[in-house]
Amino acid sequence: MRLPRFEYVRPQALEEALSVLAQSGSRAKILAGGTDLLVNMKQRTVCPEVLVSIKTLSELLMVSSDAQGFTAIGSGANLTDLAANAGIAEKFPAFIQAVRAIASKHIRNMACIGGNVCLDTRCWYYNQSKLWRDARERCHRTGGSVCHAIKGAARCHAINSSDTAPVLVALDAKISVMKKGENRLIPARQFYCDDGIRNTILEPSAIVTAIHLPDGNGAGRSAFIKLSMRRGIDFALCSIAARANINGAGVTDVRLVLGSIASMPIVLEKAAQVIMEAGLTQSAIEKAGEVARTELGIITNLFTSAGYKRQLAGVLVKQALNELKGKTAKRGGAKA
Amino acid sequence: MKQILSLTVNNDTYEVAVSPWRTLLDVLRDDLGLMGTKRGCGSGTCGVCTVIIDGRAILSCLTLALECAGKSITTIEGISSPESLHPIQKSFIENGAVQCGFCTPGIVMTSKALLDEKPQPNDDEIKEALAGTFCRCTGHIKIMEAVKKASKQ
Ligand SMILES: Cc1cc2nc3c(=O)[nH]c(=O)nc-3n(C[C@H](O)[C@H](O)[C@H](O)COP(=O)(O)OP(=O)(O)OC[C@H]3O[C@@H](n4cnc5c(N)ncnc54)[C@H](O)[C@@H]3O)c2cc1C
Ligand code: SF4
Ligand code: FES
Ligand code: FES
Repeated sequence: MRLPRFEYVRPQALEEALSVLAQSGSRAKILAGGTDLLVNMKQRTVCPEVLVSIKTLSELLMVSSDAQGFTAIGSGANLTDLAANAGIAEKFPAFIQAVRAIASKHIRNMACIGGNVCLDTRCWYYNQSKLWRDARERCHRTGGSVCHAIKGAARCHAINSSDTAPVLVALDAKISVMKKGENRLIPARQFYCDDGIRNTILEPSAIVTAIHLPDGNGAGRSAFIKLSMRRGIDFALCSIAARANINGAGVTDVRLVLGSIASMPIVLEKAAQVIMEAGLTQSAIEKAGEVARTELGIITNLFTSAGYKRQLAGVLVKQALNELKGKTAKRGGAKA
Repeated sequence: MKQILSLTVNNDTYEVAVSPWRTLLDVLRDDLGLMGTKRGCGSGTCGVCTVIIDGRAILSCLTLALECAGKSITTIEGISSPESLHPIQKSFIENGAVQCGFCTPGIVMTSKALLDEKPQPNDDEIKEALAGTFCRCTGHIKIMEAVKKASKQ
Protein backbone atom coordinates (compact mmCIF):
# COMPACT_ATOMS: atom_id res chain seq x y z
CA MET A 1 0.00 0.00 0.00
CA ARG A 2 1.31 3.41 -0.99
CA LEU A 3 0.70 6.70 0.75
CA PRO A 4 -1.31 9.30 -1.13
CA ARG A 5 0.47 12.53 -2.03
CA PHE A 6 0.72 15.31 0.52
CA GLU A 7 2.80 18.30 1.47
CA TYR A 8 5.03 17.82 4.52
CA VAL A 9 5.66 20.62 7.00
CA ARG A 10 7.89 20.41 10.04
CA PRO A 11 7.52 23.59 12.11
CA GLN A 12 10.42 24.58 14.35
CA ALA A 13 8.23 25.95 17.14
CA LEU A 14 4.73 25.37 18.53
CA GLU A 15 3.63 28.91 17.56
CA GLU A 16 4.60 28.16 13.95
CA ALA A 17 2.71 24.84 14.01
CA LEU A 18 -0.41 26.65 15.27
CA SER A 19 -0.13 29.23 12.47
CA VAL A 20 0.25 26.57 9.78
CA LEU A 21 -2.78 24.73 11.15
CA ALA A 22 -4.81 27.94 11.38
CA GLN A 23 -4.09 28.65 7.71
CA SER A 24 -4.67 25.13 6.44
CA GLY A 25 -7.92 24.38 8.28
CA SER A 26 -9.32 20.96 7.52
CA ARG A 27 -6.85 20.44 4.63
CA ALA A 28 -4.17 19.58 7.21
CA LYS A 29 -3.65 16.76 9.70
CA ILE A 30 -1.27 16.59 12.62
CA LEU A 31 1.38 13.89 12.31
CA ALA A 32 2.83 12.56 15.58
CA GLY A 33 4.27 9.02 15.49
CA GLY A 34 2.16 8.26 12.41
CA THR A 35 1.35 4.69 13.48
CA ASP A 36 -2.37 5.32 13.13
CA LEU A 37 -2.54 8.20 10.67
CA LEU A 38 -0.22 6.72 8.03
CA VAL A 39 -2.12 3.41 8.03
CA ASN A 40 -5.40 5.32 7.59
CA MET A 41 -3.87 7.33 4.76
CA LYS A 42 -2.63 4.17 3.04
CA GLN A 43 -6.17 2.84 3.27
CA ARG A 44 -7.47 6.21 1.98
CA THR A 45 -9.87 6.73 4.86
CA VAL A 46 -8.20 10.12 5.33
CA CYS A 47 -6.32 12.01 2.63
CA PRO A 48 -4.98 15.27 4.08
CA GLU A 49 -3.24 17.65 1.68
CA VAL A 50 -0.78 18.76 4.36
CA LEU A 51 0.88 16.87 7.21
CA VAL A 52 2.19 18.96 10.08
CA SER A 53 4.84 16.99 11.93
CA ILE A 54 4.92 17.85 15.62
CA LYS A 55 6.78 15.10 17.43
CA THR A 56 10.08 16.96 17.61
CA LEU A 57 8.62 20.22 18.98
CA SER A 58 10.46 20.80 22.26
CA GLU A 59 7.34 22.47 23.79
CA LEU A 60 5.55 19.10 23.59
CA LEU A 61 8.27 17.00 25.18
CA MET A 62 8.09 18.22 28.80
CA VAL A 63 7.14 15.96 31.67
CA SER A 64 6.76 17.91 34.92
CA SER A 65 4.86 18.20 38.20
CA ASP A 66 3.35 21.46 39.39
CA ALA A 67 2.44 22.92 42.79
CA GLN A 68 -1.29 22.09 42.43
CA GLY A 69 -0.44 18.38 42.35
CA PHE A 70 -0.78 17.88 38.60
CA THR A 71 1.71 15.89 36.55
CA ALA A 72 1.86 17.31 33.03
CA ILE A 73 2.96 15.02 30.22
CA GLY A 74 3.71 16.66 26.86
CA SER A 75 1.76 15.17 23.96
CA GLY A 76 4.99 14.40 22.09
CA ALA A 77 6.19 12.03 24.84
CA ASN A 78 7.21 8.70 23.32
CA LEU A 79 5.34 5.61 24.57
CA THR A 80 8.44 3.47 25.20
CA ASP A 81 9.95 6.29 27.27
CA LEU A 82 6.70 6.71 29.23
CA ALA A 83 6.38 2.95 29.81
CA ALA A 84 9.77 3.04 31.54
CA ASN A 85 8.97 6.10 33.69
CA ALA A 86 8.99 4.72 37.24
CA GLY A 87 7.90 8.00 38.83
CA ILE A 88 4.69 8.19 36.79
CA ALA A 89 4.08 4.44 37.26
CA GLU A 90 4.19 4.92 41.03
CA LYS A 91 1.77 7.86 41.01
CA PHE A 92 -0.57 6.65 38.25
CA PRO A 93 -0.27 2.87 37.86
CA ALA A 94 -3.34 2.55 35.61
CA PHE A 95 -1.94 5.09 33.15
CA ILE A 96 1.36 3.27 32.73
CA GLN A 97 -0.39 -0.13 32.55
CA ALA A 98 -2.42 1.27 29.65
CA VAL A 99 0.64 2.71 27.90
CA ARG A 100 2.39 -0.67 28.16
CA ALA A 101 -0.69 -2.38 26.68
CA ILE A 102 -0.68 -0.30 23.48
CA ALA A 103 0.13 -2.21 20.28
CA SER A 104 3.66 -3.69 20.10
CA LYS A 105 7.06 -2.55 21.27
CA HIS A 106 7.91 -1.54 17.68
CA ILE A 107 4.88 0.74 17.60
CA ARG A 108 5.49 2.11 21.10
CA ASN A 109 9.04 2.94 19.95
CA MET A 110 7.47 5.19 17.31
CA ALA A 111 4.22 6.49 18.81
CA CYS A 112 3.44 9.50 21.00
CA ILE A 113 0.95 9.82 23.85
CA GLY A 114 -0.88 12.65 22.04
CA GLY A 115 -1.56 10.34 19.09
CA ASN A 116 -3.03 7.74 21.43
CA VAL A 117 -5.26 10.26 23.19
CA CYS A 118 -6.51 11.57 19.81
CA LEU A 119 -6.74 8.15 18.15
CA ASP A 120 -9.39 7.90 15.45
CA THR A 121 -12.29 5.52 16.12
CA ARG A 122 -12.17 2.14 14.44
CA CYS A 123 -14.64 -0.19 12.75
CA TRP A 124 -14.24 -3.46 10.86
CA TYR A 125 -16.23 -2.00 7.97
CA TYR A 126 -14.15 1.19 7.81
CA ASN A 127 -10.51 0.32 8.58
CA GLN A 128 -10.00 -1.62 5.38
CA SER A 129 -8.46 -0.90 1.99
CA LYS A 130 -10.45 1.36 -0.33
CA LEU A 131 -11.13 -1.58 -2.65
CA TRP A 132 -12.63 -3.54 0.26
CA ARG A 133 -14.80 -0.62 1.36
CA ASP A 134 -15.93 0.14 -2.18
CA ALA A 135 -17.36 -3.38 -2.46
CA ARG A 136 -20.08 -2.47 0.07
CA GLU A 137 -22.82 0.07 0.33
CA ARG A 138 -21.57 3.30 1.85
CA CYS A 139 -22.16 3.64 5.59
CA HIS A 140 -22.68 6.77 7.71
CA ARG A 141 -18.95 7.21 7.96
CA THR A 142 -18.20 6.90 4.24
CA GLY A 143 -20.98 9.22 3.10
CA GLY A 144 -23.94 6.80 3.07
CA SER A 145 -26.90 6.39 5.38
CA VAL A 146 -26.69 2.87 6.81
CA CYS A 147 -24.52 1.19 9.42
CA HIS A 148 -23.19 -2.32 8.79
CA ALA A 149 -22.01 -2.85 12.36
CA ILE A 150 -25.34 -2.10 14.06
CA LYS A 151 -28.24 -2.68 11.70
CA GLY A 152 -30.67 0.22 11.75
CA ALA A 153 -28.34 2.54 13.70
CA ALA A 154 -29.00 6.20 12.95
CA ARG A 155 -25.40 7.20 13.42
CA CYS A 156 -21.87 5.80 13.30
CA HIS A 157 -20.90 3.75 16.35
CA ALA A 158 -17.22 3.17 15.46
CA ILE A 159 -15.20 2.37 18.54
CA ASN A 160 -12.74 4.51 20.48
CA SER A 161 -9.90 1.96 20.83
CA SER A 162 -7.38 4.12 22.63
CA ASP A 163 -6.02 2.28 25.67
CA THR A 164 -5.28 5.47 27.57
CA ALA A 165 -8.65 7.19 26.93
CA PRO A 166 -10.58 5.33 29.70
CA VAL A 167 -7.69 5.94 32.10
CA LEU A 168 -7.73 9.69 31.48
CA VAL A 169 -11.46 9.73 32.23
CA ALA A 170 -11.05 7.54 35.33
CA LEU A 171 -8.28 9.74 36.73
CA ASP A 172 -10.12 13.04 35.98
CA ALA A 173 -7.24 14.11 33.77
CA LYS A 174 -7.31 17.44 31.98
CA ILE A 175 -6.29 17.84 28.38
CA SER A 176 -4.48 20.96 27.32
CA VAL A 177 -5.65 22.08 23.88
CA MET A 178 -4.13 25.01 21.99
CA LYS A 179 -5.05 26.78 18.83
CA LYS A 180 -3.81 30.10 17.54
CA GLY A 181 -4.52 32.67 20.24
CA GLU A 182 -6.34 30.25 22.54
CA ASN A 183 -5.30 27.80 25.25
CA ARG A 184 -7.88 25.62 27.04
CA LEU A 185 -7.73 22.96 29.72
CA ILE A 186 -10.54 20.45 29.09
CA PRO A 187 -11.61 17.66 31.48
CA ALA A 188 -11.08 14.30 29.74
CA ARG A 189 -14.73 13.46 30.20
CA GLN A 190 -15.73 16.44 28.08
CA PHE A 191 -12.97 15.89 25.53
CA TYR A 192 -14.49 12.69 24.11
CA CYS A 193 -17.84 12.66 22.24
CA ASP A 194 -20.32 9.83 21.78
CA ASP A 195 -20.00 9.91 18.00
CA GLY A 196 -18.11 7.41 15.85
CA ILE A 197 -17.18 10.04 13.28
CA ARG A 198 -16.24 13.04 15.39
CA ASN A 199 -15.10 11.44 18.61
CA THR A 200 -13.32 14.37 20.25
CA ILE A 201 -14.13 18.06 20.53
CA LEU A 202 -10.85 18.92 18.74
CA GLU A 203 -11.07 21.35 15.84
CA PRO A 204 -8.73 20.67 12.90
CA SER A 205 -6.58 23.67 13.80
CA ALA A 206 -6.09 22.64 17.45
CA ILE A 207 -3.21 20.70 18.99
CA VAL A 208 -3.29 18.68 22.20
CA THR A 209 -0.17 20.00 23.89
CA ALA A 210 -0.23 18.00 27.13
CA ILE A 211 -2.27 15.85 29.46
CA HIS A 212 -2.47 16.75 33.13
CA LEU A 213 -2.95 13.95 35.66
CA PRO A 214 -4.05 14.99 39.16
CA ASP A 215 -2.40 13.42 42.21
CA GLY A 216 -4.55 11.97 44.97
CA ASN A 217 -8.18 10.79 44.66
CA GLY A 218 -6.85 7.25 44.77
CA ALA A 219 -4.81 7.69 41.57
CA GLY A 220 -1.93 5.85 43.21
CA ARG A 221 -4.22 2.86 43.63
CA SER A 222 -5.71 2.87 40.14
CA ALA A 223 -5.85 -0.14 37.83
CA PHE A 224 -6.18 -0.85 34.10
CA ILE A 225 -7.10 -4.21 32.58
CA LYS A 226 -7.38 -4.98 28.86
CA LEU A 227 -8.76 -8.04 27.18
CA SER A 228 -7.88 -8.68 23.54
CA MET A 229 -7.80 -11.70 21.22
CA ARG A 230 -3.98 -11.75 21.32
CA ARG A 231 -2.04 -10.33 24.24
CA GLY A 232 1.06 -9.35 22.26
CA ILE A 233 -0.40 -6.93 19.75
CA ASP A 234 -4.08 -6.18 19.42
CA PHE A 235 -6.76 -3.63 20.04
CA ALA A 236 -8.90 -4.39 23.10
CA LEU A 237 -12.25 -6.18 22.94
CA CYS A 238 -12.94 -4.22 26.09
CA SER A 239 -10.78 -2.54 28.70
CA ILE A 240 -11.40 -1.02 32.12
CA ALA A 241 -9.78 1.75 34.09
CA ALA A 242 -10.69 2.00 37.76
CA ARG A 243 -9.80 4.07 40.77
CA ALA A 244 -11.16 4.20 44.32
CA ASN A 245 -10.48 6.80 46.96
CA ILE A 246 -10.51 5.09 50.32
CA ASN A 247 -10.50 7.01 53.56
CA GLY A 248 -10.10 4.79 56.60
CA ALA A 249 -12.86 2.20 56.28
CA GLY A 250 -15.06 4.15 53.87
CA VAL A 251 -14.94 4.52 50.12
CA THR A 252 -15.32 8.22 49.31
CA ASP A 253 -15.08 8.05 45.54
CA VAL A 254 -15.11 5.29 42.90
CA ARG A 255 -14.70 5.58 39.17
CA LEU A 256 -15.17 2.69 36.74
CA VAL A 257 -14.64 3.43 33.04
CA LEU A 258 -14.87 1.01 30.13
CA GLY A 259 -12.78 1.54 27.01
CA SER A 260 -12.83 0.11 23.46
CA ILE A 261 -16.51 -0.82 23.59
CA ALA A 262 -18.26 2.33 22.33
CA SER A 263 -17.47 5.59 20.55
CA MET A 264 -16.29 7.13 23.82
CA PRO A 265 -15.12 5.78 27.19
CA ILE A 266 -18.18 4.71 29.21
CA VAL A 267 -18.42 5.83 32.84
CA LEU A 268 -20.32 3.18 34.84
CA GLU A 269 -22.23 5.36 37.31
CA LYS A 270 -24.57 2.71 38.69
CA ALA A 271 -21.92 0.06 39.27
CA ALA A 272 -19.77 2.67 41.04
CA GLN A 273 -22.76 3.66 43.19
CA VAL A 274 -23.00 0.08 44.49
CA ILE A 275 -19.44 0.31 45.82
CA MET A 276 -19.97 3.84 47.18
CA GLU A 277 -22.84 2.54 49.29
CA ALA A 278 -21.45 -0.81 50.42
CA GLY A 279 -17.68 -0.41 50.19
CA LEU A 280 -15.26 -2.86 48.58
CA THR A 281 -16.90 -5.96 50.06
CA GLN A 282 -17.04 -9.21 48.15
CA SER A 283 -20.82 -9.11 47.80
CA ALA A 284 -20.78 -5.49 46.61
CA ILE A 285 -18.11 -6.34 44.01
CA GLU A 286 -20.28 -9.20 42.69
CA LYS A 287 -23.29 -6.92 42.54
CA ALA A 288 -21.35 -4.13 40.79
CA GLY A 289 -20.36 -6.65 38.10
CA GLU A 290 -24.01 -7.57 37.55
CA VAL A 291 -25.12 -3.95 37.43
CA ALA A 292 -22.38 -3.08 34.91
CA ARG A 293 -23.77 -5.59 32.39
CA THR A 294 -27.13 -3.88 32.28
CA GLU A 295 -25.72 -0.37 32.40
CA LEU A 296 -24.12 -0.48 28.94
CA GLY A 297 -26.10 1.20 26.16
CA ILE A 298 -26.06 0.07 22.53
CA ILE A 299 -22.98 -1.99 21.72
CA THR A 300 -21.92 -3.69 18.51
CA ASN A 301 -21.65 -7.35 17.58
CA LEU A 302 -18.23 -6.76 16.00
CA PHE A 303 -15.70 -9.55 16.67
CA THR A 304 -17.85 -11.04 19.44
CA SER A 305 -21.56 -10.91 20.19
CA ALA A 306 -22.93 -8.00 22.17
CA GLY A 307 -24.02 -10.50 24.84
CA TYR A 308 -20.44 -11.69 25.26
CA LYS A 309 -19.26 -8.09 25.56
CA ARG A 310 -21.81 -7.39 28.30
CA GLN A 311 -20.58 -10.46 30.15
CA LEU A 312 -17.00 -9.31 29.64
CA ALA A 313 -17.78 -5.86 31.02
CA GLY A 314 -19.15 -7.45 34.21
CA VAL A 315 -16.09 -9.65 34.58
CA LEU A 316 -13.69 -6.75 34.04
CA VAL A 317 -15.53 -4.65 36.63
CA LYS A 318 -15.12 -7.44 39.19
CA GLN A 319 -11.46 -7.99 38.31
CA ALA A 320 -10.66 -4.30 38.55
CA LEU A 321 -12.46 -3.89 41.89
CA ASN A 322 -10.68 -6.93 43.29
CA GLU A 323 -7.39 -5.47 42.15
CA LEU A 324 -8.19 -2.17 43.90
CA LYS A 325 -9.18 -4.12 47.00
CA GLY A 326 -5.91 -6.08 46.91
CA LYS A 327 -3.93 -2.88 46.62
CA THR A 328 -5.82 -1.42 49.55
CA ALA A 329 -5.12 -4.47 51.70
CA LYS A 330 -1.44 -4.29 50.83
CA ARG A 331 -1.27 -0.67 51.88
CA GLY A 332 -3.24 -1.33 55.03
CA GLY A 333 -6.13 0.85 53.85
CA ALA A 334 -3.94 3.92 53.86
CA LYS A 335 -5.41 7.27 52.87
CA ALA A 336 -5.03 8.39 49.26
CA MET B 1 8.15 18.74 -4.25
CA LYS B 2 11.11 16.41 -3.89
CA GLN B 3 13.60 17.25 -1.18
CA ILE B 4 17.24 16.29 -1.05
CA LEU B 5 17.78 14.08 1.92
CA SER B 6 20.99 12.87 3.48
CA LEU B 7 20.51 9.38 4.93
CA THR B 8 23.05 7.43 6.96
CA VAL B 9 22.44 3.73 6.47
CA ASN B 10 24.86 1.16 7.87
CA ASN B 11 27.43 3.95 8.29
CA ASP B 12 27.28 4.94 4.61
CA THR B 13 25.86 8.33 3.75
CA TYR B 14 23.54 8.64 0.75
CA GLU B 15 22.04 11.73 -0.87
CA VAL B 16 18.61 11.01 -2.27
CA ALA B 17 15.81 13.14 -3.69
CA VAL B 18 12.56 12.00 -2.10
CA SER B 19 8.92 13.01 -2.20
CA PRO B 20 7.31 13.49 1.24
CA TRP B 21 4.96 10.54 0.80
CA ARG B 22 7.74 7.98 0.39
CA THR B 23 8.43 5.79 3.39
CA LEU B 24 11.85 4.78 4.64
CA LEU B 25 11.03 1.28 3.37
CA ASP B 26 10.38 2.62 -0.15
CA VAL B 27 13.69 4.47 -0.18
CA LEU B 28 15.75 1.62 1.28
CA ARG B 29 14.44 -0.89 -1.25
CA ASP B 30 13.72 1.15 -4.37
CA ASP B 31 16.38 3.88 -4.24
CA LEU B 32 19.24 2.31 -2.31
CA GLY B 33 18.68 -1.27 -3.50
CA LEU B 34 18.83 -2.59 0.06
CA MET B 35 16.36 -5.45 -0.42
CA GLY B 36 17.05 -7.20 2.89
CA THR B 37 14.36 -5.15 4.59
CA LYS B 38 11.07 -6.69 3.46
CA ARG B 39 7.73 -5.21 2.51
CA GLY B 40 4.82 -7.08 4.09
CA CYS B 41 1.56 -5.71 5.42
CA GLY B 42 2.58 -2.06 5.12
CA SER B 43 0.37 -1.34 8.11
CA GLY B 44 2.31 -2.10 11.27
CA THR B 45 1.18 -5.63 12.02
CA CYS B 46 3.96 -7.94 10.75
CA GLY B 47 7.38 -6.45 11.55
CA VAL B 48 9.17 -7.67 8.41
CA CYS B 49 10.18 -4.08 7.63
CA THR B 50 11.98 -3.59 10.99
CA VAL B 51 15.18 -1.53 11.03
CA ILE B 52 17.08 -0.02 13.96
CA ILE B 53 17.17 3.75 14.46
CA ASP B 54 18.88 5.23 17.51
CA GLY B 55 19.07 1.76 19.08
CA ARG B 56 15.35 1.03 18.78
CA ALA B 57 13.48 -1.38 16.52
CA ILE B 58 11.08 0.62 14.34
CA LEU B 59 8.85 -0.13 11.37
CA SER B 60 10.18 1.38 8.14
CA CYS B 61 6.77 0.98 6.43
CA LEU B 62 5.24 3.59 8.78
CA THR B 63 8.20 5.97 8.87
CA LEU B 64 8.47 8.84 6.41
CA ALA B 65 11.91 8.92 4.78
CA LEU B 66 12.06 12.69 5.36
CA GLU B 67 11.85 12.12 9.11
CA CYS B 68 15.08 10.09 9.04
CA ALA B 69 17.37 12.95 8.03
CA GLY B 70 20.43 13.01 10.24
CA LYS B 71 19.61 9.70 11.94
CA SER B 72 21.74 6.59 11.95
CA ILE B 73 19.83 3.68 10.41
CA THR B 74 20.92 0.04 10.62
CA THR B 75 19.42 -2.57 8.30
CA ILE B 76 20.00 -6.31 8.07
CA GLU B 77 22.75 -5.64 5.48
CA GLY B 78 24.68 -3.68 8.10
CA ILE B 79 25.06 -6.25 10.84
CA SER B 80 27.20 -8.87 9.08
CA SER B 81 28.88 -9.96 5.87
CA PRO B 82 28.40 -13.24 3.99
CA GLU B 83 31.75 -14.39 5.42
CA SER B 84 30.91 -13.67 9.04
CA LEU B 85 27.33 -13.82 10.16
CA HIS B 86 26.09 -12.00 13.25
CA PRO B 87 25.76 -14.30 16.32
CA ILE B 88 21.97 -13.87 16.20
CA GLN B 89 21.90 -15.02 12.57
CA LYS B 90 24.08 -18.03 13.44
CA SER B 91 21.79 -18.89 16.31
CA PHE B 92 18.73 -18.69 14.02
CA ILE B 93 20.34 -21.15 11.60
CA GLU B 94 21.58 -23.51 14.30
CA ASN B 95 18.22 -23.60 16.06
CA GLY B 96 16.04 -24.07 13.00
CA ALA B 97 14.40 -20.67 13.38
CA VAL B 98 14.44 -19.99 9.61
CA GLN B 99 12.22 -21.61 7.02
CA CYS B 100 11.20 -19.46 4.03
CA GLY B 101 13.20 -16.61 5.58
CA PHE B 102 10.83 -13.79 4.66
CA CYS B 103 10.28 -12.73 8.27
CA THR B 104 13.89 -13.37 9.31
CA PRO B 105 15.53 -9.99 8.61
CA GLY B 106 12.84 -8.16 10.60
CA ILE B 107 13.00 -10.61 13.48
CA VAL B 108 16.80 -10.58 13.56
CA MET B 109 16.81 -6.77 13.68
CA THR B 110 14.16 -6.83 16.40
CA SER B 111 16.25 -9.32 18.40
CA LYS B 112 19.40 -7.27 17.89
CA ALA B 113 17.74 -4.14 19.28
CA LEU B 114 16.59 -6.19 22.28
CA LEU B 115 19.97 -7.82 22.99
CA ASP B 116 21.84 -4.54 22.53
CA GLU B 117 19.57 -3.01 25.17
CA LYS B 118 19.30 -6.05 27.45
CA PRO B 119 22.00 -8.66 26.85
CA GLN B 120 20.27 -11.21 29.15
CA PRO B 121 16.51 -10.80 28.61
CA ASN B 122 14.02 -13.07 30.36
CA ASP B 123 11.26 -14.90 28.46
CA ASP B 124 8.71 -12.15 29.01
CA GLU B 125 11.09 -9.52 27.69
CA ILE B 126 11.80 -11.60 24.58
CA LYS B 127 8.07 -12.11 24.02
CA GLU B 128 7.37 -8.41 24.48
CA ALA B 129 10.07 -7.46 21.98
CA LEU B 130 8.98 -10.02 19.38
CA ALA B 131 5.24 -9.38 19.72
CA GLY B 132 5.26 -7.01 16.76
CA THR B 133 6.78 -9.59 14.41
CA PHE B 134 5.08 -12.40 12.63
CA CYS B 135 6.36 -15.70 11.23
CA ARG B 136 3.99 -17.82 9.16
CA CYS B 137 6.30 -20.85 8.76
CA THR B 138 8.50 -21.62 11.72
CA GLY B 139 6.28 -20.80 14.64
CA HIS B 140 7.57 -18.57 17.37
CA ILE B 141 8.96 -21.19 19.76
CA LYS B 142 12.13 -21.90 17.78
CA ILE B 143 12.61 -18.21 17.20
CA MET B 144 12.40 -17.59 20.95
CA GLU B 145 14.91 -20.37 21.57
CA ALA B 146 17.28 -18.92 18.99
CA VAL B 147 17.13 -15.49 20.64
CA LYS B 148 17.64 -17.03 24.06
CA LYS B 149 20.67 -19.03 22.93
CA ALA B 150 22.13 -15.99 21.17
CA SER B 151 21.78 -14.05 24.42
CA LYS B 152 23.92 -16.60 26.24
CA GLN B 153 26.87 -16.13 23.87
C1 LIG C 1 -0.83 -2.96 14.38
C2 LIG C 1 -1.32 -1.85 15.26
C3 LIG C 1 -1.79 -2.13 16.55
C4 LIG C 1 -2.24 -1.13 17.39
N1 LIG C 1 -2.67 -1.45 18.63
C5 LIG C 1 -3.12 -0.47 19.47
C6 LIG C 1 -3.56 -0.79 20.78
O1 LIG C 1 -3.53 -1.95 21.21
N2 LIG C 1 -4.05 0.20 21.57
C7 LIG C 1 -4.09 1.49 21.13
O2 LIG C 1 -4.54 2.34 21.90
N3 LIG C 1 -3.66 1.83 19.89
C8 LIG C 1 -3.16 0.89 19.06
N4 LIG C 1 -2.74 1.23 17.80
C9 LIG C 1 -2.94 2.59 17.29
C10 LIG C 1 -1.74 3.54 17.43
O3 LIG C 1 -0.55 2.90 17.06
C11 LIG C 1 -1.57 4.07 18.84
O4 LIG C 1 -2.79 4.52 19.34
C12 LIG C 1 -0.54 5.20 18.92
O5 LIG C 1 -0.40 5.61 20.26
C13 LIG C 1 -0.89 6.41 18.09
O6 LIG C 1 0.09 7.39 18.31
P1 LIG C 1 0.88 8.11 17.10
O7 LIG C 1 1.83 9.07 17.71
O8 LIG C 1 1.48 7.12 16.19
O9 LIG C 1 -0.34 8.85 16.39
P2 LIG C 1 -0.55 9.39 14.91
O10 LIG C 1 -0.84 8.27 14.00
O11 LIG C 1 0.54 10.31 14.51
O12 LIG C 1 -1.88 10.25 15.16
C14 LIG C 1 -3.12 9.65 15.48
C15 LIG C 1 -4.24 10.70 15.33
O13 LIG C 1 -4.13 11.70 16.33
C16 LIG C 1 -3.93 12.99 15.77
N5 LIG C 1 -2.93 13.64 16.63
C17 LIG C 1 -1.71 13.14 16.97
N6 LIG C 1 -1.11 13.96 17.87
C18 LIG C 1 -1.97 14.98 18.10
C19 LIG C 1 -1.91 16.13 18.92
N7 LIG C 1 -0.86 16.40 19.72
N8 LIG C 1 -2.97 16.98 18.90
C20 LIG C 1 -4.05 16.73 18.12
N9 LIG C 1 -4.16 15.66 17.32
C21 LIG C 1 -3.13 14.78 17.31
C22 LIG C 1 -3.47 12.73 14.35
O14 LIG C 1 -3.82 13.79 13.48
C23 LIG C 1 -4.21 11.45 14.02
O15 LIG C 1 -5.53 11.72 13.66
C24 LIG C 1 -2.25 0.22 16.93
C25 LIG C 1 -1.77 0.51 15.65
C26 LIG C 1 -1.32 -0.50 14.82
C27 LIG C 1 -0.81 -0.16 13.44
S1 SF4 D 1 -19.98 1.81 12.94
FE1 SF4 D 1 -21.40 1.66 11.18
S2 SF4 D 1 -21.35 3.72 10.26
FE2 SF4 D 1 -19.57 3.60 11.62
S3 SF4 D 1 -17.87 2.93 10.30
FE3 SF4 D 1 -18.78 1.05 11.19
S4 SF4 D 1 -20.30 0.41 9.66
FE4 SF4 D 1 -19.77 2.53 9.17
S1 FES E 1 5.49 -4.21 6.44
FE1 FES E 1 5.92 -2.92 8.15
S2 FES E 1 4.89 -3.94 9.76
FE2 FES E 1 4.33 -5.18 8.05
S1 FES F 1 10.36 -18.29 8.11
FE1 FES F 1 8.73 -18.00 6.69
S2 FES F 1 7.62 -16.38 7.62
FE2 FES F 1 9.07 -16.82 9.14
